[in-house]
Amino acid sequence: MVPSYMQGSTRRVGIMTDVHRRFLQLLMTHGVLEEWDVKRLQKHCYKVHDCNATVEKLEDFINNINSVLESLYIEIKKGVTEDDGRPIYALVNLATTSVSKMASDFAENELDLFRKALELIIDSETGFASSTNILNLVDQLKGKKMRKKEAEQVLQKFVQHKWLVEKEGEFTLHCRAILEMEQYIRETHPDAVKVCDLCHGLLIQGQSCETCGIKMHLPCVAKYFQSNSEPRCPHCNDYWPHEIPEVFDPEKEREAGISKSNKKPLRSRQH
Amino acid sequence: MPRGQKSKLRAREKRRQARAETKGLEGAQATAAAEGESPSSACLPFGGEPQNLPAADIPSTPLAPQGAPSTTNTMAADSCTYPDEDSSQDEKNATSSKGTKGRSGDPLNDKVVLMVQFLLQKYQKKEPITKADMLKLVTKNYKPHFNEILRRSSEYMELAFGVDLKEVDPIRHWYALVNKLELTFDGTMNNEEGMPKTSLLMIVLSVIFMQGNCAPEEEVWKVLNMMGVYADRKHFIYGEPRKIITEDLVQLNYLEYQQVPNSDPPRYEFLWGPRAHAETSKMKVLEFLARLHDTIPSAFPSWYEEALKDEEERARARAAARARTAAAMASARSRAMARNFSHTK
Repeated sequence: MVPSYMQGSTRRVGIMTDVHRRFLQLLMTHGVLEEWDVKRLQKHCYKVHDCNATVEKLEDFINNINSVLESLYIEIKKGVTEDDGRPIYALVNLATTSVSKMASDFAENELDLFRKALELIIDSETGFASSTNILNLVDQLKGKKMRKKEAEQVLQKFVQHKWLVEKEGEFTLHCRAILEMEQYIRETHPDAVKVCDLCHGLLIQGQSCETCGIKMHLPCVAKYFQSNSEPRCPHCNDYWPHEIPEVFDPEKEREAGISKSNKKPLRSRQH
Repeated sequence: MPRGQKSKLRAREKRRQARAETKGLEGAQATAAAEGESPSSACLPFGGEPQNLPAADIPSTPLAPQGAPSTTNTMAADSCTYPDEDSSQDEKNATSSKGTKGRSGDPLNDKVVLMVQFLLQKYQKKEPITKADMLKLVTKNYKPHFNEILRRSSEYMELAFGVDLKEVDPIRHWYALVNKLELTFDGTMNNEEGMPKTSLLMIVLSVIFMQGNCAPEEEVWKVLNMMGVYADRKHFIYGEPRKIITEDLVQLNYLEYQQVPNSDPPRYEFLWGPRAHAETSKMKVLEFLARLHDTIPSAFPSWYEEALKDEEERARARAAARARTAAAMASARSRAMARNFSHTK
């Protein structure tokens, strides 16, 4: 029985069982998970709490959970990594802009550093902000004075907490941050923010048309131009000058799994 | 809204924005809540056009730490941006459309939402919760409804997350969030073999059993490694396996972890802890092992014998305990009857 105040006004509330609750708990602790792990997690929760039931299709499973979470302004949101198109899932707050998740972990000056880095990232052409440029802004930070050395460590802390990602001395947003903060970013930088011409989602990294300037996410480009020998800009029809990335293939990923440094080892038995 | 109010609101909002930048937003939320109406423009520390914000948005705390003494109180300032009317429902953008659906216009619900988010954060960080912390989330106007808000929040936590909010210290009013889904073996779960810590524990207990009731640490890790669980690698379910088996489960008295006597360099071994003896049995562990290998317990003859003996001993112990209880109850009853007789005479 779901109390009336828990029901969404337009949607029927789904049924939560321990399978779903366990899933939520585990998803929460990870912050963000790739689809492959999410599926394993789901199977694990079934095995543990209801081993005789058939594992529901992931999409339905998640929609079920989301219908219950709706009145809490929380949802399991699905996204795609900007660089290689992996599907990812995170539990996000809809109502707050979830940077408040950060607010409890960081001091005022650290949050301001993040804000500054975020602005540089959004304004940049590549979606990356160099460490140097970010650190040059330490004098402008609110709150306690921060030295550059300290700021370097704070940036690493952001990386550890999956808010930023570092590549060769440059920083961009972690896919989790994009999932969680999209709303906030669009609202606080309405003019500077870039949007993908295909999926209309927030764009930090992507390819742009050199003629008309429209931008597209790498995975969106991959899908759109898949098996197209003469890729052309969907907007101005000019020849698309960039290398077309490959569409993400989960099967190939799994096989290559062991060799990747940050992938978990494949196991023969699940728990 | 009467005309005078609009300019008052704007002035207040300006002051609030100024304050919000440097301090937490407690002042803002207090006045906003007191107004009874909180237009979504009210709590934007960064200013800017609020019109295109979804009604449910709380942009007030993006990256703004709470200046209040309890620094983990992120949610304290958020209460002001849940207007009671969905006036900006039409202007929300696609990504936030979910946020305003299902709004019953119930202002208490907004506080419940905040409370739940606060509790979730505390749960993830494994931090204790005081009543004072929770009270801070609830602004003056809603304090009389605190118990109701708390009750509804607990229900949500249970319903959606399987987490219980328990008052662990009724004097100092400390609360803890307990995972309902991770319980002991004693039959309160329908599937005792499954829980993450539990199945990890079962595996370790079975290794100990197979090793003659005392297992060298290397043997335990050998088995765990075969299942993809490594001492120095974070596991997608178990988290930190080494910490779990050498610290957490030891603290909970499920395992004993001790240095092998006279070992140099020191080596360690595992034994069953008293709680494991109390809550499970060799037979149950053997059953678990058998399931893991897709076979039946008797497929391991010598362990099966040992487990059977253990079962017999337990059965005898239970019978003896029952006899003692029955005897005690009988004598208590006869005493009571004797008293009644003498009384009614």
